[in-house]
This record gives sequence, C-alpha cells and structure tokens, in this order.
Amino acid sequence: MLNLNGEKKKKIGAWLLLSMIGMLVLLPFTPAVVMAAEEKAAEAAAEGDAEPEKAKDVFYKGPGEFGIVSGPPAKEMVYPDDYGSYGDFQSRTIIWIANQQHLYFGSFVLAVPMFVWVMELIGILQYGKDRKAGKKFDDLAHEMMKISLTAYSVTAILGGILIFSFLALYPGFFRYLSGIFRPVMHIYALLFILESGVLYVYYYGWDAMNDGDGDWKWSHLALGTMLNAVGIVLMVMANTWVSFMMSPAGVDAQGRFLGDIWKVMHNPLMVPIVIHRILGNAAFGGGVVAAYAAFKFLAAKNIEEKGHYDWMSYIAMFMGILALIPLPFAGYWLMREIYAYRQQMGITLMGGLLAWVFIMQATMIATLFITVNYYLFQAMGRMPGSERYHRYFKYMLAILVVSTIAWLTPHTLVMTPAELKAMGGAQHPVVGNYGVMSAKNTAINTMITTTCVCFIIYQRCNFNVKVPWAWKGNLFLFFLVFGAEANIVFLGIYGYFIPANVRIGLSVPQVASTLTVLFIGVWMNVKMLKGAESVGEIRWGRMSVRGAYALFMLAVAFTWTMAVMGYLRSSVRLHWHVNEILRDNSPWAFTNPLGYAGNINSFNVLLFWTMLLFVFWLSALAGKGKEKVAAEAAAEAAGSAVPAGSH
Amino acid sequence: MSMFKKKTLLTQVLVLILVAPVLAWAGGGGGPFSAGTFSFIKVGLVIFAIFSAWLIKDKMGIPLPKLIQAPLLWVLCYINFRVILQPPIPFSLLAMYMGVCTVAIFLYCSITASSWEEFSHPIAVMLREDHGTAKMSRYATFLIVPGLIAFQTYNQMLPKFGEPIELRTVHPAPPASINVHKKLVTLQTAENPFRIGDDGNYLKVGDESQYFGGNSWTGDVPKFLQQVREGGVVFFGTAGCFYCHGDNLDGKGPFSFAFNPIPANFADPGTISQLQETFVFWRVAKGGPDLSREAFPWASAMPPWEKHLTTNEIWKVIIFEYWHTGFFPRTWG
Repeated sequence: MLNLNGEKKKKIGAWLLLSMIGMLVLLPFTPAVVMAAEEKAAEAAAEGDAEPEKAKDVFYKGPGEFGIVSGPPAKEMVYPDDYGSYGDFQSRTIIWIANQQHLYFGSFVLAVPMFVWVMELIGILQYGKDRKAGKKFDDLAHEMMKISLTAYSVTAILGGILIFSFLALYPGFFRYLSGIFRPVMHIYALLFILESGVLYVYYYGWDAMNDGDGDWKWSHLALGTMLNAVGIVLMVMANTWVSFMMSPAGVDAQGRFLGDIWKVMHNPLMVPIVIHRILGNAAFGGGVVAAYAAFKFLAAKNIEEKGHYDWMSYIAMFMGILALIPLPFAGYWLMREIYAYRQQMGITLMGGLLAWVFIMQATMIATLFITVNYYLFQAMGRMPGSERYHRYFKYMLAILVVSTIAWLTPHTLVMTPAELKAMGGAQHPVVGNYGVMSAKNTAINTMITTTCVCFIIYQRCNFNVKVPWAWKGNLFLFFLVFGAEANIVFLGIYGYFIPANVRIGLSVPQVASTLTVLFIGVWMNVKMLKGAESVGEIRWGRMSVRGAYALFMLAVAFTWTMAVMGYLRSSVRLHWHVNEILRDNSPWAFTNPLGYAGNINSFNVLLFWTMLLFVFWLSALAGKGKEKVAAEAAAEAAGSAVPAGSH
Repeated sequence: MSMFKKKTLLTQVLVLILVAPVLAWAGGGGGPFSAGTFSFIKVGLVIFAIFSAWLIKDKMGIPLPKLIQAPLLWVLCYINFRVILQPPIPFSLLAMYMGVCTVAIFLYCSITASSWEEFSHPIAVMLREDHGTAKMSRYATFLIVPGLIAFQTYNQMLPKFGEPIELRTVHPAPPASINVHKKLVTLQTAENPFRIGDDGNYLKVGDESQYFGGNSWTGDVPKFLQQVREGGVVFFGTAGCFYCHGDNLDGKGPFSFAFNPIPANFADPGTISQLQETFVFWRVAKGGPDLSREAFPWASAMPPWEKHLTTNEIWKVIIFEYWHTGFFPRTWG
C-alpha cells in the first residue's frame, strides 16, 4: 500500500493520475493530427501547381463519391514473384494458423479486462456493505487478470509471427494493404505500447492501489476503463483491415487510395463486424475463464478451494452468457449487411458454396445453448430446494432439442440421386420448411427464451417466495413466457406468407419478445425474491463433475465456432485478397474443401488449448511459489520444519 | 420367481427387442426384408415395446429404468424420422437428427444426480460385480458391442453400387452482371419492368398481394394481372415451362422424372421466395450452360431461354411464377 498522509493528498494523487490517463488517451491521436495537417499543406501546395487527379470511390456515392488519387493502383499479383512458400506447405494454411492463434489470444486478452472491470466495480460497490464479499470479487478480478497477463505476452509473440508470415509468404498483398493503411499503422503500434503500459500498471498496481473503496481504488478502476478503451480501439483498427478486404471503400476500381483514411476504415461491413466481434470476444473470454475455473475445480483438493472455483466458474459463465445471448442477433445483422452489400456474397455464404459451413456453425451454436442449460441443471444440484423443479428439466431439454433439430436442418441437403428422387425434389415437403430463415429465427429465439426460463428457475430454486402477491407474480411470469413464445412461433409461421424484406423485419419483434422475457422476467423474479425465505445456502463446491465438463464443452464449442466462422468470413472473398480489387493469383486461391477446413480448424482449437494449458500452468506456478513461502513462514513461526516434498 | 429375476429377465427381453432394429439400421437398410415389410416390423416392434413398457411400469408396478428408457427413446426417435416422416429424408439428414437425439438422450439420463445414478448404476454393477447376472451381462455386452461395431465396419467397407452423393450447390452465387440480348443487366440493382401497378408506376414488392387469387383472364383486368396473363402464356405456351416445372409449379411436370436433378419446385418456400427477381432472371436467361463457377457439378437441364424468348417475356414469366405461387421475391429495401 502506498504511504499517503491525509485525505487531501490521496485526492490530489488520484486526480493527478486521472489527468495523466486522460492525456495518455489523447496521445495516439497526435500523429494523426500532425499527419492530417501535413496532408492539408501538401494539398494546398498541389492546388497551386496542377489539378489533382480525381477518381470514383468503389463504394461511397453522393457528394463524397470522388476523391483525390493518393496512392498507386493495386498491382496484379504474379506467382511466384509476389508470393513466398516453405517447401510444399500451403502458404495460405500457415497464414491461416498464425492468424487464428493470434486472434484467439487477442480476443482472450481483450475480453478478460472487460470482466475484470465489472468484477472490480462490483467489489468496490460491495465493499461498503460487506467487506468480505467486496474482497471476494476483488480477488476474483485479480486472479482473472493474472491469467490474462501471461496470455498477453503470447498474443504479442503471435502477432510478431503473423507479421513475419505475411512478409515472408504474401509480400505483395502485405505491401498493398500497408500502403492503404499507412496513415494509421503507427497509431496502431503506439496504441499497443499504451495498452501494454496501462496493463502492467493496472496489474502490478493492484495491491498498491487497493484501499477498499477509496480514491486509489477508483483510480485503479479508471485505469481498467482505459485498458478496455484502448483494447477496443485496437480491435476496431484491426477489424477495419479485415472488413476492408471483404468490402473495400475509400479506393477506386483500380485500388488507388483516394486520400480519406476514414472512408477506408469505415467500409460497409466494418461496424457490424466490430459489434459482432466485441460480443464474440466477451462470450469467448467468459467461456475460457469458466473452463479455467472448471479445471481448477476438478483439481481442487479441499471443499473451500472447490467452492471458490465453483463460484468463479459460475460468474465467468454468467458473464459469457450475457454476451452470448445478443450474439446471434448481431450475427443476423451482419449477414443482412453482407446481403445488402453484395447479393453474391450473401448467397455464397448462406445458400451456395459455403452453406454447409453454416450448418457446422449452427451445430456449435445449438451446442452452446444446450450446454449452458445443462450446466444450470447441474448447478442447481448444489442448491437445496431445487428438487421441486427437477421434473421440469426434461421438458426444457425437449424444447431445446426440437428447436435444435429445426435450427440444424440444412436448406441444401447432401443426398444421392436416388434419395433425391425418393424425396421428390431438392427440398423436402416437411423438413424443407425448417431450412429457411423463418424457422431458424423461431428456433434460436425459442432456445434463448428457454435459457432465460432456466436462469429464472436457477435464481429462485433455493428460496420460498414470501411476497403477498406471489401467485400474481407467478401468473405474470407464466403469461410473459407463454405470450413471448406464442408471439415468436406465430411470427415464425407468418413469415412464410410475406415478402422477404418484411420477413426480415419480423426478426425485430421476435428478438424483442425474447429480450422481454430476459429483462422483465428476471426483474420480476428479483422483485418476488425480496424477503424470500431461504431453503438453504448454495453449497458451493458440491456441483457434479458433469457441470465442470459442461463448462469445458462450452469453451471448446466457443473456440471451434470462432475457427469455423473465421474460415467462412475469409473464404467468402473466394479468389480475392481484397474483394474485386486485388486478385489472389497464388496456387492457393481455391476454396478449401470442408473436410480440410474442419481438420485445420480442429488443429487450431487443439493448438490454442495446448498453449492455454501452458498459460494456466504458468499462473498456477506463480501461486505455488507464494503458497510454499507462506507455508514455510507459517511452519517457521510454529517452530516446526516443513518436510521436503510436502507440496 | 423373485422380483430381481423378473426384472432381469424383462430387461434382457426388452434389450433384445431394441437391439434388433439397431442392428438392421447398422446394416444400412432393411436387411433381408423389403423396405415396406421392414417398416411394418419396426412399427410393430415399437408398439410392442411401448406395450411392454406399459405392462411393466403400470401393471406390474416395476418402474422403467433409465437404462431401458434410453434405447427405447432412441428407437422411437429413429422410427419417427425413418418411418413416420414421409417422403424419406436422405441419410445425411437422418444421421444429423439421430446424432442430436443420441446426445439429447444422454443428457436426459444425466440431467440430475438421481437420474445419472439410476442410469449409471446398472452399468457399474455390470462392470464391477462378480455375481452370475452381472457376469452374464458383461459377457453379453462385450460380445454385442464389438459385434455391432464389426458389423457396421463390414457394411461400410462393402463396395456400394448406388450413384455416389452429389454435393450440388442448389443456389450458387450469381455474377454481378450479365449480358442478355446485348444489354448489360446489373443483378444487384435491376428491377422487373413489368412490376407495375394500376397507376403505371413500379409496384413495390409485397403490394402485389392485392392481385393474388385474381382472375387474369377476364376482360378488364388491372395492368399487373395483364402481365401475369402474358407470363402465363409464356409458361404454358411459348416456352412450355410446365413440361418440367409442372402445372402447379411444383416441379412435377410430365418430363420431370426424366431429369437428374429434377426441376425446381417453385411452390416450395425454399426456392424462388428466397431469391431476388434478378437471380431468377439470370437462371432463366442463361440456364444450365452458364451456371457460375461454384455451381459444381453444373448439373442442370435448364435451357438458356435468352435464345428462345425476348427479355420482356423472361421478366413476364417471372412475374407469373411469383403470382401463381403467392410468394414474393427477396428484396433488401
């Protein structure tokens, strides 16, 4: 703890720190401002000499349609001059693996600070009411941060490997892309330095700045806010490159930069991809931390330790699910924007060449929701009084399974010609109806609504509701869920009878029904639980091992989903490095078959988890050292020697 | 006979009944029976199994253990998807559905501590205990399980003589633009010129529902229905689309079964209602010969109608197809 004399000094210190943070936030924008000023001066000088060449933007229309040509055209790539290779290895596969691993770790280290921030805030707010509870949340946040810190170094190393891979294997493409993004590339690098600095101060200053709920603690939380802000800006910038490759803007048809970097960054798919990725990162981060806690839960040797990790896994899973619930809707919006951008791209993804990859994704999404419910069923096993609800579990599972079957049914079926004839057409008259969006929306909303109901039961299963209006509240909850589901199913069926553009609009009231159950249902439940009689405390640490395995399943399903969707997003460009601007002329420009993609995705998942196990082990190693020192000190104090090998 | 022996005997009988269809399924079909006969046998077996379950559970007062419920549920799911659901679904879909059901049944059996105990205890007894029944069950299990795997492996390795699975892309991505009758049509933005309302202006997609069910052959019909009528003339007359796509546009025309793959069923919600009008225009104008690169294996007997019809006739027949089926083309507005 820092030695601070007096309340006044503490406040001055806190404000000084906050001001420094504010200045640091502005620091990365300085080069951009300088660069913009230089460009303006150059423009003014050019105006005096000759009329600058103007060209038409490939995407932007209206007043900003034309821009001043500020870069060379995209060169036609030639193999082998613009490509490199290592023997017989497919260069694309090497880039694929390097990219995916960097993305996994990057997502993880950006997601964990989000949870840590929330946990730390809860800890501070709780501290005034219940010091023990406040410290519990604070310790949890600290432990999560410890895992993230080790992963941070791995992320940086993988980022380096990725850059080297690009330079060695795709120099022509990298030259073009870095030429376009030249004005912001150093901002990215500087932000990375800022992120590292803030991260280290945030982590290593944890104990030093911990004065419960005082100014230093709030300043520490402000550091966390900055860490998250910088992390999100970093992610947004990296996403602009990816989205530019899919839907270029700010360049002309020859690929010449038109002088406005914001147009390049703010390309048509940038915003939906960013939103989807932030939510995806948060869900993924929650899944990984939950898996870490589940691993520690299984390895724990006493009930206190088991209890701690049982609680930690629940909190991490809960945070992950909060992000998972809106994720399908964000994905739906992204797909809509893709269709609006290019019809071919949308059809290639959902109805054409890559349609089966969506079935793989659907399998993973269904796995995620079923696993979450299964985990909650298992978690209720440690809550006295939950027996009253056991008989409903099978019905909820049945609803989830029926929804999964509709959710998974493909539009394009794999079949032999004989099966095609027996069926009487490419679409089955019964299950063919489940292959379209109306059915899919109904299925996923039903699954999410069921998950909400499961959570409401989880909240109340160890309580007896005592408010005088309990029966009215229960009746309200029943009609809320029943009404929402009736609306979801009705709109799903109605969707078959109206035009596609109206049908897409129906997804809004369907989602609204689901979110109403989530927010109003949980709110009403919390209201009803005020003054409720406890049947018994939650027996943390008594969850079945199946619950812990469910959390592993959840985390692996997240990882595999990310791998498969990454492959999909990248493959939709087909033979283009930058869609319709820079053609891929390497021998690996073809779209990989599903089996190969499945193998590489599985390899990526395995590699990530192997590296992550190393990270977990490293975190535990640091803890072991501390435990050992503490145990030796305790033994010394007690006057007895600790036998060798006792740890 | 003691209650324990009675239970054991009944369990074994039920397991035998349930294993038979599993064996037949592993064989990839009906085995020695024809498909129809086998379906009857399966239905009979399920009815018998349900009757047995009722007899055991309700009449004899013996609860149906989870270990019996699980395979019973599995077989019921299988019968539902293989026999009750008609016309038969392809094997790939059946495998997906049964995969989901298998996982779901396992989750059902392990959903609470008590149900997991009920499900896993007999297995633990079978594996660990040393008394007669446990031993016999162990031997039987260690014979049946490898036997099933061997049987399935044998069947999978057997040479098959059926046509192989065709991974056909039913809706390939269209090109950005096409040339029809020396005019460039940009598929992202082009509109059907015959989609016109009573005022002669462009009729927004969805607004044509007012004309659904109307008679386009009466004397004084709205402009939109006039286009529908002319499109119908193309469909049934000039081009003769109905020979393949059918009178009801359901893909069951008199020639349909001569083709492989069979013609598109426009009455299905998964075809034209999922596509923009320009996509349909591309398919009609260019037909099978000009399918895009990803439309492997380019299996389509659709003629390139631009060689036989005018551009206007193609747009009109598209209007007719949507009107007749009651679907709307996909739009993003």
